[in-house]
Amino acid sequence: MIANPASNGEMYYHDSVVRFLLMCSLVWAVLGMSAGVYIAAQLVWPDINFGQPWLSFGRVRPLHTNGLIFGFGVSALMATAFYSVQRTCHVPMPTPRLAWVTAILWQLAILSGGLSLLAGINTSKEYAELEWPFDIAIAVIWILFGIVFFATIAHRRIKQIYVSNWFYGGLIIVIAMIHVVNSLAMPATLFKSYSIYAGALDAVVQWWYGHNAVGFLLTGGFLGMLYYFLPKQADRPIWSYKLSVVAFWAFTYSYIWAGPHHLHFNAIPDWVQNLAMVMSLILLAPSWATMINGIMTVSSAAEKLRTDPALKFIVLSLAFYGLATFEGPMMAIKSVNAVSHFTDWTIGHVHSGALGWNALIVFGTYYFLAPRLVGGKLYSVRLANIHFWLALAGTMIYILSMWGAGISQGLLWLSLDTFGEPSFSFKDIMASMPPYYLLRLLGGVIFLAGAVLMIFNLTMTMKGRETIRIRPPVAASVQEST
Amino acid sequence: MSDKNRNDGRRRGRSEFLLKVLFRPRVVFEDLAISEPSPYRVFFKYLIWFAFLPPLFAYIGGSRHGWDLGAEHPLLLGETELRLVSALYYVVLLVAFVSTAFVSRWMSATYGARKSLGVHMAMVAILAAPITFGSVIHLYPHVFINLLVLIPALIWAMYLLYGGLPVALGISPERGMLMASSLVAWLLVAFVSLLGITVALWTSGLGPSIGA
Repeated sequence: MIANPASNGEMYYHDSVVRFLLMCSLVWAVLGMSAGVYIAAQLVWPDINFGQPWLSFGRVRPLHTNGLIFGFGVSALMATAFYSVQRTCHVPMPTPRLAWVTAILWQLAILSGGLSLLAGINTSKEYAELEWPFDIAIAVIWILFGIVFFATIAHRRIKQIYVSNWFYGGLIIVIAMIHVVNSLAMPATLFKSYSIYAGALDAVVQWWYGHNAVGFLLTGGFLGMLYYFLPKQADRPIWSYKLSVVAFWAFTYSYIWAGPHHLHFNAIPDWVQNLAMVMSLILLAPSWATMINGIMTVSSAAEKLRTDPALKFIVLSLAFYGLATFEGPMMAIKSVNAVSHFTDWTIGHVHSGALGWNALIVFGTYYFLAPRLVGGKLYSVRLANIHFWLALAGTMIYILSMWGAGISQGLLWLSLDTFGEPSFSFKDIMASMPPYYLLRLLGGVIFLAGAVLMIFNLTMTMKGRETIRIRPPVAASVQEST
Repeated sequence: MSDKNRNDGRRRGRSEFLLKVLFRPRVVFEDLAISEPSPYRVFFKYLIWFAFLPPLFAYIGGSRHGWDLGAEHPLLLGETELRLVSALYYVVLLVAFVSTAFVSRWMSATYGARKSLGVHMAMVAILAAPITFGSVIHLYPHVFINLLVLIPALIWAMYLLYGGLPVALGISPERGMLMASSLVAWLLVAFVSLLGITVALWTSGLGPSIGA
């Protein structure tokens, strides 16, 4: 039975688990980004895998994506969800031990899952590469995450459920649903299973999962982060609360249909592709409603930028959110997709979202959160400002190099000779790509350097300081240091 | 003043402006902060020329060498097609400059900045200068080499935007940072739209047919 936190005298927010998750996500950030830089270098110098299978591109690439999405991203989402749900409900988490169990088990699952990927154990489903024992573990831990989160909502002391909790709640419910459905498989051995879906159906289910993982985790979950931390940093209420709620429901309704745009011109029914294209275009409206809401919220709080370096990361993340959520629907249009599909343009698009939106909003949130968790000041505002420019330069170099590479690839692949045969072989086209990949590597290194600066800055900020204990406002407004 | 002297003066004004943007950008923004240029004057004296140079370089490079996409042979467009593409490039750049100036003026209400269209046009001209310089590389139309030159040019333009906007528009650096980021969002979306429209036109049969 979940105890009512008000009845047992535990009237402090449980923030030590938030701090633990924050630190874990920083470790995952370095590991995941370093893996990304390493495989980017392998595309220029293939020999640097030294003939070791566990260092090969095919094994390190899923480690890069899983490490960053589920290690860095989900740890950050859990940290910020636990932090904000207590404050928006004016109540400590009623299940603090379960929150710790969830946080620790999640790290163990991703760590062991990451090692299994290096060992070559892989389902071959993108973003769902982990084999069935890990899938079961992830499902169980995710349910624990849901229990911790929704138990806090159930014990809330204010009637309204703030919009950030709608997005975090959507994240928990939808990810559980798509993870379970997509992972249904028949185990053959301990580390080998076969999907219960066959052929084109398997592809449709996989991209229903894949796109909604992007939608409800990398977009919806991080919008929850935005809706809590942006008004806190700007010290202003959301510009239009009504718009935020309308955007949530429109987002939830339209996103779920868009997955098959990953399968344009493939062996699935044409109407499914067209429906996905139309729903992808409709999706632009709620995405941009949120962007406008964010920009207008921060517009009246410009003076905060003078003292708070965190806010500028969030402002820039909104610009890249606008780009990524416009570019995605545009690339879902079939006549554009004919050129962009299977090219590095897609990689550039993903990274305009991953670097420009997801990473920047986490950076901005952490520069706000870390000093507050320990009741101190940021170690160095100057380092944070340098990080800002490194992040912007790294992201721009990455995206521009992939645009150049992707469009060249698309044009060359579509080119036919007088007999109607492809003019250029895949091998020849890829042989001309290393200069672009070198530029992309440079962008990645610059971005990683900025992240390392941040980790140093945050570590120095929190070093030697206890997590402060804060009471919910209904009980007391004082802050006490342990 | 004879027509020749007047034309020389105009050319000198433009080249002085370009050199100042390159070497003393702060002075250009400070000059703009205390002036009230006419939008028509900025448009006809600077923008139509800045928009003219990149397509001109692209036309010369495209007709002499063809666009190198990394394949064995460069892409050579027919003379008529090349003229059409270059003319469209010119029109697109002009539309981009003018629409960015209007968008910037529209945003100025939110950030409490100066509202004169001429100032916003002039700011766009300053930001366009590095890209105009960088477009010289179109004379050697290799996609990667062009990226190598145009990426620093774009970063330089962004640096000018973030540093110069608050000076030129008379707002605090903090508000300037917010407005500059909003303009970056507009420019990124406008650029990627252009990319999408271009690619959609290619797949509809308008544009290059490579190798066939």
